Amino acid sequence: MTVHLYHWEPNANSGKPMLALAEKGVEFESHYVDLLKFDQHQPEYLQVNPDGTIPTMVHGDRVLIESTPMMEYVDDAFEGPPLRPTDPRERWRMRWWMRFFDSYFAPSLSMIGWSVFVGPAVRQRPREELEAAIARIPLESRRIAWRKAMFNEFSEAELAESRRRVTFCTGILEDHLARHEWIAGTRYSLGDMNGFNLGYALPLSQPDHCNDTRTPHIMEWLRRIYERPAARKIWSLGRTAMAQRVKFLERAAHA
Amino acid sequence: MLELYTSEPNTFFLKPLIALHEKQAAFTTHWFDPDELEPSGLDFSAEVEAHLHLEREGPLLRHDGTLISNSFFMLEYIAEALPGEKLLPDAPYDLYRAHASGQFLGAQLGSLVPVLGCVRYLAPRLNAMDRSALDARLARVTPQERRLAWQALVDGTYTPQILATARERLKLPVSRVESQLAQAAWLAGPDYSIADIDAFAMLRAVPDLAPEIVNATATPRILDFLARIEARPAVHAALATSRSGKPHQHFVPGVEPSRWG
Repeated sequence: MTVHLYHWEPNANSGKPMLALAEKGVEFESHYVDLLKFDQHQPEYLQVNPDGTIPTMVHGDRVLIESTPMMEYVDDAFEGPPLRPTDPRERWRMRWWMRFFDSYFAPSLSMIGWSVFVGPAVRQRPREELEAAIARIPLESRRIAWRKAMFNEFSEAELAESRRRVTFCTGILEDHLARHEWIAGTRYSLGDMNGFNLGYALPLSQPDHCNDTRTPHIMEWLRRIYERPAARKIWSLGRTAMAQRVKFLERAAHA
Repeated sequence: MLELYTSEPNTFFLKPLIALHEKQAAFTTHWFDPDELEPSGLDFSAEVEAHLHLEREGPLLRHDGTLISNSFFMLEYIAEALPGEKLLPDAPYDLYRAHASGQFLGAQLGSLVPVLGCVRYLAPRLNAMDRSALDARLARVTPQERRLAWQALVDGTYTPQILATARERLKLPVSRVESQLAQAAWLAGPDYSIADIDAFAMLRAVPDLAPEIVNATATPRILDFLARIEARPAVHAALATSRSGKPHQHFVPGVEPSRWG
């Protein structure tokens, strides 16, 4: 039974199931959904996922739309190396950190990213075209997010709070990785895959806060993950300069 | 050794109490009053996952020295780590539905229900306190997101318009649960599971807080779902831990609403 994955770049939510599938050794049929062309709000995609969010996994008659639970599904549904710890405490810690990434760190990092990358990438289009694109978005929360990005409606106070949180979270993550080899503890897991999708470009987007001097454990963690064949394979699928930022993690680049 | 740091059995606090009773687990409880703003009395300084967990106040489970936080992940932990009633589906897709339900409802109901409950029941209690003493307590609250959530209850942040928006947004998770219950008796597979405990603990408050949204006409399946779970002995045992006799009047600010607006 073929796995169909509808995804954008190997980045953030799209990259989570891509990397989990690659680590599990599961081939999948890739359907590239161009976020910047609003493919995810077109009728053909809404037939697959009426919420118009990316990614979506279709496995037989099963449709999965939540990216982090989707990663757990990959581990539960397919043969291959285990992607979660067997110890319940480490498994809980893995989930705790994934929620911390998804619900606290990522929204702040993405607010900055959308204000400097996604918004400017679409903003030059005619206003009526953008308004029509917003009108097609099914979920109110996503309409609000896109309107803010398209029309640069992020307030300075919002962006300042996002920058504060990103700096704070980077410090918390550094402390955690100073005590634990991997997010869950002693073994590589979905928590690291989730965190890599969030943080692979932190050294470039937050150079003052994430670098070899201030956050050596984060840097080493990111490099160890990028050395894995699965991460190499998935990030080679990137089509934009955004995904190419991962090459900063090449050890040879800074030797 | 299993110890639960808990309070009035409502919303986040109700979940692990039900699961532990379903498992017939032996555990001790440490009661605390969130209104005192010094939850559990524990020193969290070395426990980042307890100090920064996104439900802020909320239950904590200590199992042989490890502190487990976040009420949904606590349910998963109880289901996976303790013997007894399984509480998790077998099929991978049903497991996905349980995880996805916890994620979706955790963000939606986890932020909206506490706002409505705190404004109705907690804010009047806070406003009845001596303001300078309350301010002194608030000033000690960390992290700052938690302090701001409590301050918002006494500084007029929750205008009628904001509360109307919260009620409007509550319709999405409620309608999704009602639709799911039209397909099957339980939320994640053929049997009662942690997904049902999780949804029950949050939805149980809604007929009181937003009767225009959850009622016999608009959401008959949710009312039936609540009644079926309410009848379980484990739920009776969990609710019987209430000290006030009115657990439905006790809320904590809970999960921060989306900062994207």
